Amino acid sequence: MGMVKKCWAILALQLACSGAYALDAPVWVGINDPAWNEMYPVRVQAMQAKGDAVRGEAKFVICQGCHRSAAVGRVDGSYPRLAGQHVSVLIKQMTDVQTERRSNPKMQPFIHLHEVLPQNVADIAVYLHGLPVTANHGRGPGDDLQHGQLLYMKDCATCHGKQGEGSDEQFYPRVSGQHFNYLLRESLIIRDGKRRNAHPDMVTVIKRYTDKDIAAVADFMSRLPVNP
Amino acid sequence: MDEGYLLRQLRYFASGKRRNEVMETIIKDIREADFSSLANYYSAQKPLPGKVNNAQLAAVGKRLYEDGNTETGVPACAGCHQPDGDGNARFPRLAGQHQVYTLQQLGNYHSGRRATDRLMVAVAQRLSADEMKALAEYVAGL
Repeated sequence: MGMVKKCWAILALQLACSGAYALDAPVWVGINDPAWNEMYPVRVQAMQAKGDAVRGEAKFVICQGCHRSAAVGRVDGSYPRLAGQHVSVLIKQMTDVQTERRSNPKMQPFIHLHEVLPQNVADIAVYLHGLPVTANHGRGPGDDLQHGQLLYMKDCATCHGKQGEGSDEQFYPRVSGQHFNYLLRESLIIRDGKRRNAHPDMVTVIKRYTDKDIAAVADFMSRLPVNP
Repeated sequence: MDEGYLLRQLRYFASGKRRNEVMETIIKDIREADFSSLANYYSAQKPLPGKVNNAQLAAVGKRLYEDGNTETGVPACAGCHQPDGDGNARFPRLAGQHQVYTLQQLGNYHSGRRATDRLMVAVAQRLSADEMKALAEYVAGL
């Protein structure tokens, strides 16, 4: 987090000088801080804004047509569950889609800067984090769980946690309670370089995975305890 | 219809941001100072129920209205316009609206002729002609 804090300071200085949002220009990418976690202006502004859950709930109206009321997502995995996700992860993903660092054409118009300002991002993130995570999410077929567990514990648990709890401090998403088909789809597009904003270490690890490996891990993740 | 929504549309007609041959002529003769009285008057009227002509089509529309289309990224209309179609200051009331009018506006958003709300342009561009017809049929009965 030391690098991250230093990076914030540099950004704050640059923002003070430029005083404007830049949608595309990467402002600062440190040598040891890979682009996946780049601190660009709208993201820093959202991270520095004080989020308010009541305002976030009101703004979330434009998201619930897809992510559903209380952000439970869809059991078929077409839209992820956002309830209970870490604030840092939600901010990163929202602003990454907003600035097209994460490819998501379906969501792009709804998170556009014309519609969602950094303050809105902060508000929505706080609101979503506080929502309850229930155990009625989509699960995999359950036919290759031992293999999934083996791979998860070897390659994934270090960052995403033994219980799939992720890390707010490290921007690692919580994966427990997430719909199976979403976990499956995102893992595949991260492996195939189509999502673009994943941690490079994850891309390296998952590159070796077959479709079957990925399905097994996604299935295992979908069965992690929802409220550890 | 919500007062704030009505007022905003009157201003759009006056500024040319929203185009309509009939309204463009009429709005020229109305003083801007009277816009809020008009919005207030119309928002105070009791809404009349619409009429569903094709129940089968309305059933298709209901599914789309409540669930969207996950394949094409159409959000559920209910998310913004509310499950009962009552709307609010940002998103207009749809309940009981004439089929022809709903269809015309969806078409205008789809083509970009009406671009007063970017979100709605994005949504309409993802709707097929059949989906628009089904939705117009459903909301008429709300």
